[in-house]
Amino acid sequence: MSGAGLTRERTLLLFPALLLLALVVAVPILRVVQLGFHRVELDGGIALHWAGLEPYARLWQDGRWWGALRNTAVFTGASVALELVLGVAVALLLHERFRGRGLARALVMVPWALPTAIMALAWAWIFNDAFGVLNDLLGRLGLVRGPVAWLGGPGTAMLALVVADVWKTTPFVALIVLAGLQGIPEPVLEAARVDGLSAAQRFRRVLLPLLGPSLLVAVAFRAVQAYGAFDLPYVMTGGGPGGATETVSLYAYRNYFRYLDFGYGSAVAVQGALLAALLAAALMGLAGRRGRVRA
Amino acid sequence: MSMGQGRRRRWCGLACGVLLALLPACAPRPSGLEPPRLAVMLPPGERPFWEPIARAFERRHRGLVVDLVEGPQSTDLRENLYAASLLARDPTFDLVYMDVTWTAKFAAAGWLLPLEDRFAAEELARFLPEARAAGEYGGRLYRVPVRTDVGLLYHRRDLLERAGLAAPATFADLERNARALQSPPETWGFLWQGRQYEGLVCAFFEVLHGHGGFWVDPATLVVGLDRPEAEAALGFLVRCLRAQPISPPGTTTYQEEESRRLFQDGRAVFLRNWPYVWRLAQAEDSPVRGRLSAGPMPHVLGARPAATLGGWGLGVSAYGRQPALAVEFIRAATSLESQRALCAPTGYAPAREDAYADPALMAANPFLAELRRLHAHAVPRPALARYALASDILQRHLSAALAGTDAPGRALGRAARETRAMLGTAVAEAGPSR
Repeated sequence: MSGAGLTRERTLLLFPALLLLALVVAVPILRVVQLGFHRVELDGGIALHWAGLEPYARLWQDGRWWGALRNTAVFTGASVALELVLGVAVALLLHERFRGRGLARALVMVPWALPTAIMALAWAWIFNDAFGVLNDLLGRLGLVRGPVAWLGGPGTAMLALVVADVWKTTPFVALIVLAGLQGIPEPVLEAARVDGLSAAQRFRRVLLPLLGPSLLVAVAFRAVQAYGAFDLPYVMTGGGPGGATETVSLYAYRNYFRYLDFGYGSAVAVQGALLAALLAAALMGLAGRRGRVRA
Repeated sequence: MSMGQGRRRRWCGLACGVLLALLPACAPRPSGLEPPRLAVMLPPGERPFWEPIARAFERRHRGLVVDLVEGPQSTDLRENLYAASLLARDPTFDLVYMDVTWTAKFAAAGWLLPLEDRFAAEELARFLPEARAAGEYGGRLYRVPVRTDVGLLYHRRDLLERAGLAAPATFADLERNARALQSPPETWGFLWQGRQYEGLVCAFFEVLHGHGGFWVDPATLVVGLDRPEAEAALGFLVRCLRAQPISPPGTTTYQEEESRRLFQDGRAVFLRNWPYVWRLAQAEDSPVRGRLSAGPMPHVLGARPAATLGGWGLGVSAYGRQPALAVEFIRAATSLESQRALCAPTGYAPAREDAYADPALMAANPFLAELRRLHAHAVPRPALARYALASDILQRHLSAALAGTDAPGRALGRAARETRAMLGTAVAEAGPSR
């Protein structure tokens, strides 16, 4: 059989899989992009009217969208930064040899394995003012006078979301960093030790630069994921109080399902995806540059 | 030659594989073999009480299966499931069990069949007028009420009596009595729902009408949120939380259940909530059992008390396979007998007027007499196709004022502006398209 025939047959065999992918991934995406150029009218049926860039123009004047973007940025920045610091710390700890390390590694993964909606409900009760564990503990320690309505203030509600997210996804960062740590050859660390570097110096000068690629992967994954946060604010705050925790995803979802405004909802989603892609590209660009510098 | 044959065979195999894979999608639905089926999605807690209604209907329609699908607990999620199914013109659900606020949206989207021709005028006259009107949109009937809800004020009768105080008639009475009887943080004066969600709109709506104000006039689309009555109403709610508060700081995070639990634990004097609380608070193990009374929400002098109208009813999907049978099911599900089956064990308020004179129902739940009286104050939320957007606008700005990030007047000014912008587009949309 000729090589060309084999290639053609291979392509042909791949075709059903590609078709399936196109149907379940590309078609919906293209449909959302297309819907984003429409105005939706509700009048004895759902009617779509071509509106060009009008939905995107509306975004720029929509205070609620800007608010959602700001909330999303704050949530993403704060949670990813904290997760990175804690994740590295946990990974370093789990990299050490100690009794019960296997068990500890398994236990650390538990929050990551829980469904977000369920753990969000649990956190909402922890932060509850009258029945919550947090107020009870802080009250016993004498740190607060009277119950604090954590989810009732704009700042504290965002803090509560960040805490819940950090609790859930620090294990994910730790796992990636741990894998990175295991990839660092022992002789390199041995050499640093022989050269008389202190533990802090070894961490800063040797481990951190070598962990760079893992850290960037973790940050890229987490940033894009946190940027799309939906279930956590949906369950814990519903976007409140006063819209202080409404994220871009939550806003897009409400436009679709609550207002049946598929045009504007698609514009919100597409604009959100473009910004997320930009974020990811920037992080990857950073990774690429670092890679070249080292080379 | 043999090479060509092998290739041809492989081609044939591939083609057959693809065809086989596609076969199930093309197969005709075995509609002739399956028994006819009527499906409706219900909240999980209600399903057991619908069973006898469904089984009785099956007995009268031989070979029919009534499928009571258990949906999620959250009203929003059930609405979304229905919306997703109807958007796709999917025939899964023949009937839609809907909240009052869904009517306009579902009807405007063209998802429901109009029902006014399917029911005789005297049949429809049997329902409470408020509950029936909540099923209408654009002059047509899309939803037949099954059970109804009104917002009301629960009082701790024992505390009021001990202090020699009457149930509050005005907001000033409520504030005064609450302040006199509370001892925070153990016992609070007044509990209500202040989280950013539909419940906040319901609570505010009552206070707003109690101050003589209004939200959106559905006939003229005039917005009343930046009038002095509205500012006074929101001012009252904000005052409940500030300076010398009568409501706990957590109010801004409460939905119905958080406030009900606190009240039932005996930790409050007054509670704004729905009728379901009565039955739970009078249960054997309830600390406040036998110490309660209930009445309408207060009002200011010169205005009438108001009760936000809620409730559930049935509509017929425009994409169902059995619209005629679905209408028959609604007729059966709203019979007096069915109202007994649903409302006697649950304490729900029936939508039929004659149910309030039914000895069996009144014996099962004497509170129904009070609920019937409260319906005189029932006010429906505006029937707008984009009601959800109007509600979200109001929720946001109310919540901002309650959280202290915006002054009540400013917050309501913004809400009024955004609501007008939204209705402006809605009005333009109703005209000829550009």
